[in-house]
Amino acid sequence: MEAKPKPNKFVVPIGPQHPALKEPGHFEFTVDGEVVTGASVRLGYVHRGIEKGTESRNWVQNLYLLERICGICSHVHAMAYSLGVEKLAKVTIPPRAQAIRTLAAELERIHSHLLWLGVAAHEGGFDTLFMYSWRDREVVMDLLEMITGNRVNYSVNLLGGVKYDITQEQVDALRKGMDFLEQRSHHYLKVVTTDETFLGRTRNVGLMSFDQAELLGALGPTARASGVQRDVRVDAPYAAYDLYPVKLITDPRGDLEARFVVRINELFESYRLVREISANLPAGELSVRVPRRIPEGEVISRVEAPRGELFYFLRSTGLDTPDRIKVRTPSMGNWASVMTLTIGQNLADVPMILSGIDPCFSCNDRMVRLLRPGVTQTWSWEELRRFGIEHYK
Amino acid sequence: MDLKLDSPWQKVLNEIKSWARINSPWAIHYNSGSCNGCDIEILATLTPRYDVERFGIKLQGSPRHADVLICTGPVTLQSRDRLKRIYEQMPEPKFVIAVGSCAISGGVFQGCYNIVGSIGDVIPVNVYVPGCPPRPEAIINGVVQLLESLKKK
Amino acid sequence: MDTETALNTAEEILKPWTRSVTIPEPNRIVISISRKDLKTGIKALLDAHWGYLSCILGVDFPGNPAPQPEEKMWERLNESEYISPSKPEGMIRVHYVFCHGAACVTLRVAPHYSNLWVPSICDLIPSATLMERELMEMFGIRVEGTPDTTHLLLPDMWPDGEYPLRKWWKGLDQELPESELVD
Repeated sequence: MEAKPKPNKFVVPIGPQHPALKEPGHFEFTVDGEVVTGASVRLGYVHRGIEKGTESRNWVQNLYLLERICGICSHVHAMAYSLGVEKLAKVTIPPRAQAIRTLAAELERIHSHLLWLGVAAHEGGFDTLFMYSWRDREVVMDLLEMITGNRVNYSVNLLGGVKYDITQEQVDALRKGMDFLEQRSHHYLKVVTTDETFLGRTRNVGLMSFDQAELLGALGPTARASGVQRDVRVDAPYAAYDLYPVKLITDPRGDLEARFVVRINELFESYRLVREISANLPAGELSVRVPRRIPEGEVISRVEAPRGELFYFLRSTGLDTPDRIKVRTPSMGNWASVMTLTIGQNLADVPMILSGIDPCFSCNDRMVRLLRPGVTQTWSWEELRRFGIEHYK
Repeated sequence: MDLKLDSPWQKVLNEIKSWARINSPWAIHYNSGSCNGCDIEILATLTPRYDVERFGIKLQGSPRHADVLICTGPVTLQSRDRLKRIYEQMPEPKFVIAVGSCAISGGVFQGCYNIVGSIGDVIPVNVYVPGCPPRPEAIINGVVQLLESLKKK
Repeated sequence: MDTETALNTAEEILKPWTRSVTIPEPNRIVISISRKDLKTGIKALLDAHWGYLSCILGVDFPGNPAPQPEEKMWERLNESEYISPSKPEGMIRVHYVFCHGAACVTLRVAPHYSNLWVPSICDLIPSATLMERELMEMFGIRVEGTPDTTHLLLPDMWPDGEYPLRKWWKGLDQELPESELVD
């Protein structure tokens, strides 16, 4: 039995849950009053069986399959895979190609962080910020389309290099775009650090200490916002990051506000990198030939996706199809840390905390099961989100 | 009392309902297992550059108030039943727009063990919008085509 | 700490329990370890603040009794531990990959099909639960002591005994039943 939401007032459906309605929940929270006492996550709505699928596709086909694991970070997946295959094949990639890969990766980071800023703001009820950040994000989408021909799933990588070159005209457009975005990002930083309503929902919320972040294996900006110095671009530079070093951005506070600040500061760093790379592209070829059958071996390829460390394990037995490919996405590492974080927090803070790790935003329709003593309720994500907004009014 | 209206009145009522639906369809979005590429382009249609709301399309959360289901993804086995349930909860008349190559045929994931493949195998679909992902303009075009076909009825 | 020093430090830390060391890439070492020593080894790394757990992954090595695919696959192999007539039983290698900067250390256990279990490391690293759940459902390995044994990725109605990432698994024979929420 569901109650219709009344205007300006949200009514929580109360009553014993119908036992036959085993709605598969993405999340399950045990709640005592308004405080979360237990949390667990169940993924699987987006499980397509890709790792198994890679075993029956050849190395080239897998490039296109693995790109589509995630639409938001498709380039880093393809890049991690290509770097791994090139390691197995013992092929050296021309520096221009590595630089273009790095350029695309930074543009992707910009688009991903702006996307997240909008989505996280939306979770907290700040729809104006959502609209502004996505409008600004269109600048990056246009730049990506200009360089690669598509807004999403840019397919820059080839096994052995890249497909597209950057012209001087494009370099000028990139610079203009970065200037505009940088100015806008200063505005976002100001909003995020000074707006009272925003701070009410982010300051001292979802605290994760340095030790917790280390132990729980948090990755990416989520870890860096707790002071953990962990960034694959700095720790283990790949592609062209040794030529264009990255500054590690951290924040010691460990709360939600810190996670916002870290990502916006990373935006500034990415703008700087895009300008630097595009102005200093090394001359040379765009790709080299990679054999059809990849030599035997096992490699690990780690790259820094916008959400954190992306881990690829590739095993070849000398055929034209891989033996085993394992993909461990950064969200996998971050879910565990965040689910632990929600314990002891208010239910109303949960939507913002979960968005704070920049999870693969997807189903607006994630279902949430709430286990209260004696009663199980099932809420939609939308209901949980509105509960959070109402609580803070 | 038997409220069976005369046929001319019924026709007028239907036209009013149709007009209301065409001018302001309420849409619900569901991701049945996609990589999010199509979903972010759908969400981009709400943003100022494409601003699909000026066509009267409102994206909201509950299936019980929706006219149109905008669906992406190759339908994973876990989300298949939930998709059916959402479709069943929608009041008649209802329409489905399947967005993306995966929604049409499974896309690159064809043959993978945990997917059904086509949304059309699970629920009836009115409009397919191909692309990987389709541009926001293509998605809006798909919605407008649906509205046009409603007008003809 | 640079990569080489990091690797040497890790090798030293794990020396008491190391069965063998392989070096697949310049920045990586793979340490073969027994299941009873696995947790001791991991604890030693954690106590020395050497790195963080990056991934738990499994690789299936089916034995001869299982149906063979094309013959050529076996001809190319020259790894002695893979498949040979003298070792007919299948095994699954479970890799625990720890990273410290650019250095990666893999602790590797290899339970055979007839004795397919590994100890849970969740009391040492609570966030390992998600990766252990995936290992269990994809390979059918029993992870002793793991706090959560529910499916992480596979659907609720998935039949028992079907482990997708086993090499010889080719797909479900039957249609999945509908879950109860559709009436």
